[in-house]
Amino acid sequence: MALNRPAVGGPEYLKIVKEASVKVDKLEASNWDFDQVPEIFARKQHADVMAKEAVHLHDGRTMTRVGRLVLGGVGTHFNLMGSVPSDSTFRVATDYTSHVIGEINRQVGKKGLSDLPEYRQIEERLGEAEQVEFSNYGMFPRVKDLVLWLLVHDAGCFPSTLETIVRRFALGNVVQNNMYFTKHPSKDPKKPALMKSPGLLVQFPSKVVEWMEQPIYGGLVDKTIKVEHLLTITPTKISHPYLPLVLESKVRIVDQDYYLRTFSGSSPKEALRGPGVPEERPTKPKK
Amino acid sequence: MNTWIESDTGVAEAAGIETSEFDLYVRGEIPACLAGSLIIATSRRHKDRSVFARWHDSQADLLKLDLFPGRPGRVRASFLAVDPDWPDVEPLNAPFYATQPNHGLNCSKDTVWATNLLFGAPLEVDLASWRPRRILRLVGPDRYRPQLTTTSHFAWSLDNRYAYFHQSLLERESDDHPVRSADLKLVELDVVSGSLRTWNILPPAGDACPNGANFHSAFYFEEKGERFVGLLRTGAILETLAPHDRPTEHHVSPMEPSTIWVVRIPEEEDVRVLHALLLPGIRDLQGFALSHLDVDASGGDGFTLFANFKQSDVAEETHGENLYGEKPEDVPEHYAGMIIEAFNCGQVIRYCRRGDAMSLKTFCRAYVPGKTSLGHSWLPINIQLDSTRQRLFCSFSGFRPRLLPRHVARAYKGLVADLNQIRYVPPLLMRFDSARLEPDTDSKRRHLSYAESVAFTVVGNGGSDYVCTFAPDVGLRIYEADDLSTAVGYALSAELMTYGDTHFRPTPAHMQFVAR
Repeated sequence: MALNRPAVGGPEYLKIVKEASVKVDKLEASNWDFDQVPEIFARKQHADVMAKEAVHLHDGRTMTRVGRLVLGGVGTHFNLMGSVPSDSTFRVATDYTSHVIGEINRQVGKKGLSDLPEYRQIEERLGEAEQVEFSNYGMFPRVKDLVLWLLVHDAGCFPSTLETIVRRFALGNVVQNNMYFTKHPSKDPKKPALMKSPGLLVQFPSKVVEWMEQPIYGGLVDKTIKVEHLLTITPTKISHPYLPLVLESKVRIVDQDYYLRTFSGSSPKEALRGPGVPEERPTKPKK
Repeated sequence: MNTWIESDTGVAEAAGIETSEFDLYVRGEIPACLAGSLIIATSRRHKDRSVFARWHDSQADLLKLDLFPGRPGRVRASFLAVDPDWPDVEPLNAPFYATQPNHGLNCSKDTVWATNLLFGAPLEVDLASWRPRRILRLVGPDRYRPQLTTTSHFAWSLDNRYAYFHQSLLERESDDHPVRSADLKLVELDVVSGSLRTWNILPPAGDACPNGANFHSAFYFEEKGERFVGLLRTGAILETLAPHDRPTEHHVSPMEPSTIWVVRIPEEEDVRVLHALLLPGIRDLQGFALSHLDVDASGGDGFTLFANFKQSDVAEETHGENLYGEKPEDVPEHYAGMIIEAFNCGQVIRYCRRGDAMSLKTFCRAYVPGKTSLGHSWLPINIQLDSTRQRLFCSFSGFRPRLLPRHVARAYKGLVADLNQIRYVPPLLMRFDSARLEPDTDSKRRHLSYAESVAFTVVGNGGSDYVCTFAPDVGLRIYEADDLSTAVGYALSAELMTYGDTHFRPTPAHMQFVAR
């Protein structure tokens, strides 16, 4: 989401939090029906994950995900949210996250996203992605914590998006949140700022391979270009649900040998709507 | 691996089977009352979304999830694919398989009868060995009538001893008419002895057109000492029996509003023909694609039927340009031949006939983003009463506006939602008060679950009920029936999602629970 109020200092901040808390309480008392607090509707929807390259490492007991995202946005400040199991460890820009994706590509002679014509077209159109930093990491354990944060930062949200996230809370997941900003802001949805995230790492216990959920439409692009590497310590036939298999190999990462299966292509986002159809909005009062 | 499946007519047919087993990873707990198996009819789609394959014909992967209660407990998955090679053998004969059970599930304590959603005959599967036993084909296909249609969801006698379903031949289309049904039969299956009995059905006056004489679900009731079966006449009209050679825009024959036929089960041995009557009041609703149901026929004096109209042309599938004029290759979520979208919101009905009284209630609701606690009724799928019969659970698939083909929408001019206003409608599972047929609204929003899988089943014993939902990509989720806002447990594995590296398994429609 684009953040219209990335930061406020001093007593004004207290006032904003107080006002936002009143709205969240009213929303909760209204059974989370946005029409009771229409200010919560986001005004515009102009930030998306355009592409990602991810590593899914499963050692039989733990799932480790490392990802680098290419983000598009209209505005200056944004946040990126994703749900993860509540017993996850989350890290940003460690030596490992910086190393692993590049090392896999080096060993198999590939260039990751840059090998995909669709991705190259994006960079040709929008310029090379700007490296951005993530900051103010947070975990939201409840939907009201998440909505409060969105109101404080004047981001708002959309009901169908929130419902998708509510379902993830219902499973005992938490929502992980990061802020980031661009030095080259855009006001044109057709030419959003293109940004490259630092390496992100999420690790949680699991005896099975778990793929990530499909991203939700953010108003800019209707699909996500992806390269996803599955690393396992024993051979596997596990496949990606949407992407074709493009490579099988073996790699060695930090003194450990892995079987590698790489999938790439693009997959649709969730909650797409027709061309020219506006975002979800409050119900118009009857005349 | 090959096996022989004994057919009830004609020679036994050879069919390959393929099996695989693995454990899911469980978080939370498997409640004690879920000791048993969940049966799910999944299918496969090619990852290459441009490869056209009609959704009816998708290879079936029957899935059994054996549940072992505990914290976290254990969930063991077993896939059974029957005749997995059929599309590669004779592609031109693709629609004329004997069974392709990728949709409906009808279960006794030790047997599953799995069905396609329109074509072919039920496949009987032994639950313990998880192997196919026979195909229940009671009509004989020939050159002009090479395929058949069977009720996907059977009716059950009050003691669950007998199952009832419709079966008839499908006659190829001609210049004069689309595909039509012939030799309509009602079948009685004795689930204890395995024996079968059939009667010919004579259509009711005023609803005798054989185009679209297909019946997705059936229900059983007793009234004044006599036994009856109700057949939901879905009314899917197929322009052609075979799938398209090329998935281009074509003329669509619009469905007629659905009806319900009622036939009396005769006590007399020599009766061979059953005269169907129309259940009054159903056609007047002018709803399309009456499909799924649950019924409370307890007491043996009438029934309370809950059923849903999909408002979707269920004989069609996704291909061609969409309503916005976008080409399939420009619509990332499109894949050729998948389940058709609804053209407007559907409705759920409550039809009560007890003694001499009759009442009819309907629930039809648009999705209003600002009032999501009210739910919606876009593309209703499953419908099930809880063990107390006081609460009704319904799932709705929602709406993906860019997947509605223009040539299908044209056939329903004036009935299609305003595509310039309508947006994505998320899937929904909602609890209703069964007496009022209104959402069982809860101030803490525990009565609904958006972004939920449409396949679900309610398991309970009158004391505590649980709702289980399933889709390959999100796995099994378990909720207390009182609280859909908090999962009790869930179980998943990436192995559920794909077949080889070429196919993925889309969201299935139905699941059933069989206690151990």
